Amino acid sequence: MLERLQTISEDHEDEESEFNGPEHDVDKVTLSQQAVIFENSSAIDEVLKEAQFIRKEISLLQLEVERMCMQNERFGTSVRRLTLLKKDCDSIAKGVQQRAEVLYVRLQDLGKMSNQLEEKESPNSAVSRIARTQYDTLTLAFHAVMSDYSKAEEKQKNTCRRRIQRQASIMGTDITDEQLDVLVDKGGEGWTELSQSLQPQAARTCRLAFCEIKNRHKELVELEARLKEVHELFLQMAVLVEEQGSILNNIEVHMHRTQEHVDQINDHIKKAIQYKKKNPFLQCCPCLPSAVSKAYKKYVSSNSLN
Amino acid sequence: MAPSGLKAVVGEKILNGVIKSVKKDGEWKVTVLIVDHMGMRILSSCCKMSDILAMGVTIVEDINKRRERICSLEAIYLIAPVQKSVRALINDFKDVGFTYKAAHIFFTEPCPDGLFTEIGRSRVAKVAKTLKEINIAFLPCESQVFSLDDPTSLYSFYSSKPNEEKDKMIENLAEQIATVCDTLKEYPAVRYRKGPEENARLADEVYRRLTAHKADNPSMGEGPDKARTQLLIVDRGFDPISPILHELTFQAMAYDLLDIKQDIYMYQTTGIGDSKEREVLLNEDDDLWVQLRHMHIADANIKDLSQMLKKMPQYQKDLSMYSTHLHLAEACMKKFKASLDKLCEVEQDLVMGATPDGEPLKDAMKSIVPVLLNNELEPYDKIRIILLYIFHKKKGITEENLAKLIQHANIQADSNIITNLENLGCNIIAGGSNAGKTLPERKERTGSTYDLSRWTPIIKDVMENVIDDKLDKRQWPFISDPAPINTTQTAVSARFGHWHKNKSPPEYRTGPRLIIFVIGGVAHSEMRSAYEVTQATDGKWEVLIGSSHILTPTSFLNDLKSLDQVPNPDC
Repeated sequence: MLERLQTISEDHEDEESEFNGPEHDVDKVTLSQQAVIFENSSAIDEVLKEAQFIRKEISLLQLEVERMCMQNERFGTSVRRLTLLKKDCDSIAKGVQQRAEVLYVRLQDLGKMSNQLEEKESPNSAVSRIARTQYDTLTLAFHAVMSDYSKAEEKQKNTCRRRIQRQASIMGTDITDEQLDVLVDKGGEGWTELSQSLQPQAARTCRLAFCEIKNRHKELVELEARLKEVHELFLQMAVLVEEQGSILNNIEVHMHRTQEHVDQINDHIKKAIQYKKKNPFLQCCPCLPSAVSKAYKKYVSSNSLN
Repeated sequence: MAPSGLKAVVGEKILNGVIKSVKKDGEWKVTVLIVDHMGMRILSSCCKMSDILAMGVTIVEDINKRRERICSLEAIYLIAPVQKSVRALINDFKDVGFTYKAAHIFFTEPCPDGLFTEIGRSRVAKVAKTLKEINIAFLPCESQVFSLDDPTSLYSFYSSKPNEEKDKMIENLAEQIATVCDTLKEYPAVRYRKGPEENARLADEVYRRLTAHKADNPSMGEGPDKARTQLLIVDRGFDPISPILHELTFQAMAYDLLDIKQDIYMYQTTGIGDSKEREVLLNEDDDLWVQLRHMHIADANIKDLSQMLKKMPQYQKDLSMYSTHLHLAEACMKKFKASLDKLCEVEQDLVMGATPDGEPLKDAMKSIVPVLLNNELEPYDKIRIILLYIFHKKKGITEENLAKLIQHANIQADSNIITNLENLGCNIIAGGSNAGKTLPERKERTGSTYDLSRWTPIIKDVMENVIDDKLDKRQWPFISDPAPINTTQTAVSARFGHWHKNKSPPEYRTGPRLIIFVIGGVAHSEMRSAYEVTQATDGKWEVLIGSSHILTPTSFLNDLKSLDQVPNPDC
């Protein structure tokens, strides 16, 4: 990269004395301009603050999901302290879900804010576009994190299922995938059924295996319940993301959909011109000092701004 | 999976070198990003909205549209140093009320003195906190493909009409190509195909620009083995077959047969919602596309997973990618089966000069006549067959025979496409201005699995020859003497010398590169060749290919059609 800032400032110092700003009508421009600046910068600040908060939360959520994955790995590969590890996994997973639900609500609020801004201002005003863009990209990011979470839970579920099946086969009973589905769906009852089918065979010699299966079954039931909740959340979001998809994340497409900014000032100027024509002072006494007619104009344009 | 290669290099340069650079470490600053057409195209090809938003950009504006004042935010300008954009920039700070709080200006290439002085004289100089030339004046289309985003280039080089702007155009092109090398930190030996005068002129100009860049940026070309990097300038007329032939690999076939504009594929879908029209971007962010794009359509087997989609919405993103590619493949096959399978057989026999069994083609005319008389085929398909027949004849054909063919095919309205190819140096009319010019001798290749995909783009032979250091120096001269090539392999320990590989920026890639620029447009099959040759070297070499624009057979024929016409001033 070539840095050229210094050259420019040196050039400018030489030229500065020659610069002459153009004349402009302070009445028409400054008055409405100040009103616009004040409004748009505080609305923009609000949107940006909220977006920044959500963005940070999403990163933290991502970190939690990664932590959960690592913990699941440890659980999957250990043979000792399984209960303790499992407790950790569970608590992280529950934490992720709670955080995600709160975040989802906040994200939806941002969406509502964006819709309100589009109605109040125009969909083309800077603040509406800022809000819409932030909402769209944050939704995509949130969806991505939730996908990762869901995949991790699925993986965990499969590990758990395989463990049960392995333990059961150690004990002499083979459980097929379909049988396992049924047992899990039945929850606590499923466990009773399972334990009855296992008990007659060598329950005393394989007591450890027996406990293992009991725990894994419980865990699986909890996992399925959690996954069902996430499933619900996803159904709502998936429609949204499917409709927008990666197309909105494309900068060129995004820009083509943006139209020229039609200054609201234009409307006011048109009205001012109309009033000027109808200005009673100018019509009856064209030689009246311009201060009076200017005062009239100012009065009219400040009224039309409200 | 993060993209590697050109997109990663340019993306990193823009995100860190431009957008992140305007704030200090740890500071959270929000900015408005303002781009002109070139800036927008470069940005869009390697960054997504979510990337730039994560770096603090809140809104992206078009410099040429009228924009709202946002005085609380600083603005980043990513623009080409051309009059229209510079004037618009100056305009933003002309009145008493500045449009933005401050300006950070990034030019895609070196700014000419005149415009620079204009900026210096304006109030922009007061509010400019940054002013840099980033030296990226090309689009990184894929990890090994670049484009200069100028579809009028074929016309500029080869039109029959006089072009006063030609010198300026060649200079601009050379500057853009130099920025490709600058971005990759390469200082290649420049070579060109001997023959058309434009090749030598462009190569010369590129060398001049490269030297200028090297003076500002001495680290270009430094590194082990970098002295072997070469830049080849080649003209489209060198291989007129590849952009015309019907290809059966996924990407080439899709772009040829379906209406895909700006890499966006549109289709009807039944997903989670009701049936609706979907737009999908085909690019390297889609891992499945990267896997499938160079595969033969018969190998690209994509299962119908739409049932699974309904049961597991959390996999919706992955499964809808499958759905897209399934639709794409089905649409291609539908068109193919409708009329093209016979056609492709004839085409392959013509370009290989032999049947799949190895029998030399005896009566080419006999095989093409049924195609020409087939009223169900599009005129452009017939023109493609006629052209392939002419190239098969090597010495061209008589005007009489050409007229007969045109009549059989009933394509009088488009017949100038055929004769315009003479502008590219191709031998169309026997004994005409290009008499004596022939297509190069081909390498023997074995092992093509599919009878309908026997053709290899000529550029692939060239790529392999460069890498083996066998490319004839008389047919492909160097602009300057290259550094002596070290042919002895120095023993490299597996334990040492690799520590930097995980930490270095993407452009720092050990090993030489072969960069090829095709004047007039590059075909999909040639792009595929770059990847295939790279893979065959096991990563020792990286082959990059680019042009003013990427061709489809239809766009190529359209470009050819306009060569003998006056350009439309509205374009």
